[in-house]
Amino acid sequence: MKGYFHSFESLATLDGEGIRYGVFMQGCPLRCVYCHNPDTWEKGGTEFSPEELVKKISRYKPYFGKDGGITFSGGEPLLQAEFIGETVPYLKDAEINYAIDTSGEVHLSDDVKYVLQNAQLVILDLKFWDDESYKKYTGMGISKVIDTLEFLVKIKKRTWVRTVVVPGINDSEDIIRNYIEVLKNKRCVEKYELLGFHTMGFLKYENMEIKNPMKDTKPLKKEHLKELQEFVDNELKKP
Amino acid sequence: MNCWRDFKEGNWNKNIDVSDFIKKNYTPYIGGSEFLCGTTERTDRVLARVEELLVKENENGGVLSVDPDNVSSLLTFKPGYVIKEDDIIVGLQTDEPLKRAVNPFAGYRNAVQACKAYGYEIGENVKDEFKYRTTHNTGVFRVYTDTMKKARHVGVLTGLPDAYARGRIIGDYRRIALYGMDYLIEQRKLDKKRISERDMSAETIQLLEDVERQLEFMAQLVEMAAEYGCDISRPAENAREAVQWLYFGYLGAVKEQNGAANSIGRISAFIDIYIRRDIEEGTLDEKGAQELIDDLVLKMRLVRHLRTPEYNELFAGDPVWVTCSLAGMGEDGRPMVTKTCFRFLQTLYNLGPSAEPNITVLWSEGLPEEFKKFCAKVSIDTDSIQYENDDVMRKDFGDDYAIACCVSAMKTGKQMQFFGARCNLAKVLLMALNGGRDEVYGEQVAPSGKAFDEGTPLVYEEVLEAFKTYAAWMAKLYVNTMNVIHYMHDRYAYERLMMALHDVEPERLMAFGISGLSVLADSLSAIKYAKVTPVKDERGLIVDFKTEGDFPKYGNDDDRADEIAKWITEFFYSELCKTKTYRGAKHTLSILTITSNVVYGKKTGSTPDGRQAGEPFAPGANPMHGRDSEGALASLNSVAKICYDCCQDGISNTFSITPETLGTDEDDRVKKLVAVLDGYFAQSAHHLNVNVLNRQKLIDAMNDPTLYPSLTIRVSGYAVNFNKLTRDKQLEVISRTFHEKM
Repeated sequence: MKGYFHSFESLATLDGEGIRYGVFMQGCPLRCVYCHNPDTWEKGGTEFSPEELVKKISRYKPYFGKDGGITFSGGEPLLQAEFIGETVPYLKDAEINYAIDTSGEVHLSDDVKYVLQNAQLVILDLKFWDDESYKKYTGMGISKVIDTLEFLVKIKKRTWVRTVVVPGINDSEDIIRNYIEVLKNKRCVEKYELLGFHTMGFLKYENMEIKNPMKDTKPLKKEHLKELQEFVDNELKKP
Repeated sequence: MNCWRDFKEGNWNKNIDVSDFIKKNYTPYIGGSEFLCGTTERTDRVLARVEELLVKENENGGVLSVDPDNVSSLLTFKPGYVIKEDDIIVGLQTDEPLKRAVNPFAGYRNAVQACKAYGYEIGENVKDEFKYRTTHNTGVFRVYTDTMKKARHVGVLTGLPDAYARGRIIGDYRRIALYGMDYLIEQRKLDKKRISERDMSAETIQLLEDVERQLEFMAQLVEMAAEYGCDISRPAENAREAVQWLYFGYLGAVKEQNGAANSIGRISAFIDIYIRRDIEEGTLDEKGAQELIDDLVLKMRLVRHLRTPEYNELFAGDPVWVTCSLAGMGEDGRPMVTKTCFRFLQTLYNLGPSAEPNITVLWSEGLPEEFKKFCAKVSIDTDSIQYENDDVMRKDFGDDYAIACCVSAMKTGKQMQFFGARCNLAKVLLMALNGGRDEVYGEQVAPSGKAFDEGTPLVYEEVLEAFKTYAAWMAKLYVNTMNVIHYMHDRYAYERLMMALHDVEPERLMAFGISGLSVLADSLSAIKYAKVTPVKDERGLIVDFKTEGDFPKYGNDDDRADEIAKWITEFFYSELCKTKTYRGAKHTLSILTITSNVVYGKKTGSTPDGRQAGEPFAPGANPMHGRDSEGALASLNSVAKICYDCCQDGISNTFSITPETLGTDEDDRVKKLVAVLDGYFAQSAHHLNVNVLNRQKLIDAMNDPTLYPSLTIRVSGYAVNFNKLTRDKQLEVISRTFHEKM
């Protein structure tokens, strides 16, 4: 079968360990108000077969060392779990590991489970803290995300959780505390990282001529992000 | 005192063989940087004085002062000092720091113009002397053919060393420290005697005259050192003397010659042997050792030549290329990393970041991890290091080669180079399309051929045939032009001192160069994969192209385009090899433009890849900026495909990245930069300039995107090529990325 891709980034260093080759897949079930990749929402994109994809990626093996590898991101990569599942054996043959950067907003099909089970690392975007906030800002509920998280706990998968902090929506300690509640005692979670909202995706809204709900929002200040991250780190240390 | 006490003996005791001395006596260091020391009070004082002078030089329009009456040579200036009581390593080109002397040997008119540009009139005595003296420049123009002059005029051959010294030659300055000048002079006299037995052919006569000229300057060097109170007729007794003796050799060379690049060679393991011995004998400590290297590096940073403004336009930033090669592996499998490699890198902290000396790390898979990490750290902090692949070069050049200029390897003291600037191959394509006429001037430069038609889409096979014909013609003209230049340079501006510090009959390399590789590769790709239709002006010249449809571009790890780039270099190299070189030099080729890619672009009309007339080329072997869609490593992979075997004079590539893109914190960045370097060089790539950019660099990149191609801005999950953003967006990124510091 074919996979559908938005783009590739040969030097993605922040989405997982070591040097990562970023594979941005096309299509997403969410419509987050602060999305910086609105160009990955709809279906379409460039087609590759698993073999073609792995051939392309193998060119970057010299850079990966023992930690690096590829990261499936998007869009929502797990929408194409069947394709990734078909790709896994090829990646194994090539001795290339992969990480999955997902919203968790997917039905836990056998394909999804297989793909998560075989990942070196899962990066889970916990976008909001309850069903209401999820529906308000992403258009979808929280239940599938929780199911995915529970599954990762069950299979003891190394997981990094990330949350984008948006001024005026979730940039207070009180709100962040809600996220921490969701993550408490989830022993697979190695790291909880806050990312600051930025405006560099605005250009894409302009180019696509679609409404940008956040156009008046300023980027999150670095100092503020740092304070919140310290708060999170302290809270998670508490027994 | 026995100068060679405690040294292990070897072939170096029987013949001049510095490499053997190093291998018998050096101690590899596999530890980390924790032993390093900061500056001493003395260094701080000297540094403060130098910084004060540099500010003045800058305020004065880039030249502090000129002595227009005194021609630069070994003995024409009284000793000069930065601070006489504080200098540990002594010696300046003139009697005052940063004061420039005139050097008319390679080109008198150039010297006059350079003086004039800074408000000086060349001295009467100099005028008189050069009235009766033939310079290199005069000699060349006596012989240049009309076609050579035309090719030079339209800029298809550019940057030729026909009005200034050719540079790129590295004397083996270590020989002075190890053997002392008496022994070197004695050996050279024996060489002369031996050569005198031969039949007196033109070659023999030339060589004998060369040797006599070398002997004259060897004697002058001893005298020059004596003026500074040093007796270099004998070998160095300790580390300070070893550094000083070696530096005198280099100083004599830059007093004599104003070549574009004056590199110092591979000296760290050599110096380390002396430093170690002194430390063991208790006469030196780490502070003192660092102070010695700091002072040597400060002196290297003070080297200046008087240039014309046109020259500065070509090679921006007043460079000297005091290239200092560090590390690499020995052929016996031991790393040639010593504590002194670390000490040289440490100067970038002690004395601040700097372009000079041009610190070049000879990278190998086998280098100690701690050294790799320290290099990466220094790169991230200072952007001042370039990397070259020792695993690739060692195969051809052994383990005692050094880099001249940016990427030119040569065996120290055993090979020399005839520097050959470069040929603008993008222009050759346009010439082929225009039946041999230049696309800017309209002049018939190459032999007349069939011009391609307006309004008819170009057929790849036909274009390729025409290009091959004209590139072959160009290659022949290029070699012959170089032959003229180097014949005359040997005759009228021969490097007496530098060649005295080589074996008497060194191997010669003739280093040709290509500019416009990425423009040409993309243009051919456009013709092959898209529809390209020529547009002519009223002179009937093709001056523009209508390019419809997409095409693969060099820099995306796409074989369709990359194979074209690879083919171009192989084809052009094989064509160059068909014409015999002066003095039997070996043909080599580089893909290197330094900063001149902007000037080459200015002189080149619109190209089929969509580049507009006058737009800058990408530097060196870099893909054109803004054409890579898959990020930095894809671009590195494309460049790595260019084969070093046919580009043994180097394949230059520049890599730029922001700290935030490279990793989350310093440790992470260091690890990742090491991984990038290991990954790139594992593919037999040759060279990488690494920029981990700060805010100022982004601003520079905004004003001139060619400075930092493939600059990626990335904040978790989002990546964009900086050069593709509008100016407003770039400003936004700049303000955002450096939010805290603003």
